[in-house]
Amino acid sequence: MNRLAPAKNEGFAGFVLWSVAAFIVAVFAWLMADILIHGAAQISWDFLSTAPEKAGRRGGILPILVSTLLIMGVCLLAALPIALGTAILLAEFTPEKSAFGRMVRRALDVLAGVPSIVFGLFGNAFFSVYLGLGFSILSGGLTLACMILPLLIRTLEAGLRANPARDRLAAAALGLSYGASLRHILLPGAAPALLAGLLLGGGRAIAETAALVYTSGYVDRMPGSLLDSGRALSVHIFDLSMNVPGGDQNAYASALVLIVLLFIVNVTTAGIVSRWRKTGLAI
Amino acid sequence: MLKILLLFWVLSLQIFLPQHTHAAGKEKTHLVLTGSSTVAPLVSEIARLFEDSHPEIQVDVQSGGSSRGIADARRGLAEIGLVSRDLKENEKDLKAFSIAFDGITIILHRDNPVKKLSNAEIVAIYQGKIKNWEKVGGHDAPITVINKSAGHSTLELFTAYFKLKSTEIHPDVIIGDNAQGIKTLSGNPDAIAYVSIGAAALEAELGTPIKLLPVANISPTLENVQNGRFPIRRPLNLVTQKKPTGWVLRFIQFARSKDVRAVIQEQYFVPLPE
Repeated sequence: MNRLAPAKNEGFAGFVLWSVAAFIVAVFAWLMADILIHGAAQISWDFLSTAPEKAGRRGGILPILVSTLLIMGVCLLAALPIALGTAILLAEFTPEKSAFGRMVRRALDVLAGVPSIVFGLFGNAFFSVYLGLGFSILSGGLTLACMILPLLIRTLEAGLRANPARDRLAAAALGLSYGASLRHILLPGAAPALLAGLLLGGGRAIAETAALVYTSGYVDRMPGSLLDSGRALSVHIFDLSMNVPGGDQNAYASALVLIVLLFIVNVTTAGIVSRWRKTGLAI
Repeated sequence: MLKILLLFWVLSLQIFLPQHTHAAGKEKTHLVLTGSSTVAPLVSEIARLFEDSHPEIQVDVQSGGSSRGIADARRGLAEIGLVSRDLKENEKDLKAFSIAFDGITIILHRDNPVKKLSNAEIVAIYQGKIKNWEKVGGHDAPITVINKSAGHSTLELFTAYFKLKSTEIHPDVIIGDNAQGIKTLSGNPDAIAYVSIGAAALEAELGTPIKLLPVANISPTLENVQNGRFPIRRPLNLVTQKKPTGWVLRFIQFARSKDVRAVIQEQYFVPLPE
């Protein structure tokens, strides 16, 4: 008899666990079905390739899609190197119990729990006003980078720490430099954690509304540079469903696009990281 | 590989940055407008029209709430603030220019014999104290209460005028925008709802089986909203810190002109009197 199969007297617990799982799947299915039913009919090449008209009731979402991707690009370009550096410092060069390490970790954990609207106001005050970037894609992307940094650093640090000690010892015994063992052994070992961090952080960033209203802004024109204001998809959806009478249809369609985008981002990130894990940084 | 990645990072940052300077030859004049999320979609459309006739100008509209509009206009972060209400006493240092009005009224199905409701009756219906049309002079039929979902400005205007708390309201149906409310009501003869007057008047004209009820004996016509007799009304304002000049003045004049009447009606707001 399979040792892992639940015994008979665990029937009730099994039932509860199954129904909880089924409930979660059902909620997800309901949400997807709702968006698909209401949104799928509006999706067409025109919708993806034209600019919004009549406050978004008619027309498409092309400038908004472009702005969203630019904001994400800025966010990841700024956040990844800083996250990598901090995580390596914390995991490799700082003893786990040291006061410095504990302080940084505590600060990051507090930051990770800060509501996004606070990051929005900070981003507005610091990037938009103090640094003079104004309402721009750059301000928005950098604000999102601040927002996802704690998450990225903490998952990456945990991933680096999870590398077994024998790998480090083996690398040292083979006379590998620290840089080489980091690149070929330790970082690839932390790849699944990096993937998890990217998916969580990227997901949080791409779905962000509050932080972006105050930083990248509301303008739905095609951005000419990173210093132009550009409306993100989530801001567009919020505006259509809350402030634009008759905007519900296009709000659903935009939500569907956002979900598909999220799905594509997830699959690509997973692909890149798993390849990186196999080959190491020296491809 | 690490070097290539680093190089790519630095390069990509540099490619992005200089873009705004090399277009400096034909740099456009920027007007920044921030404020009320109710006014922002309307003003974005007006801005688009304005840009069409003045290509040398770029109007950036940002949303974020009326108080943000006030604050940004005061601090000079925005040339014009967007405010979806009258200025308060302590905001009289700013200049306000109304561009449109928003009024809301009670609507019933055309087949409902009830001709008018007093404010007290409306409050009682929305609090769930009156549950049958019989009590207010209608058929013997239960009342279906339609309410707006949280976050809509019409909900705030409605509850503020009738001094209701949104927690006191026990709706049977919760709707999002005006069109949805009118649609729900036209399919349910025993329902009551409140919507934007602009949207309701347009639909009633198009033959949708709804009727607009007077509030405090003032009939809900667009004229009464325009001239201020109708009680549940608010202006949509552009505010500036100083007396407007130059492009700011021209934009305000444009937003108050006849050229934007169609745009204002398209957003279900009531244009200024002619």
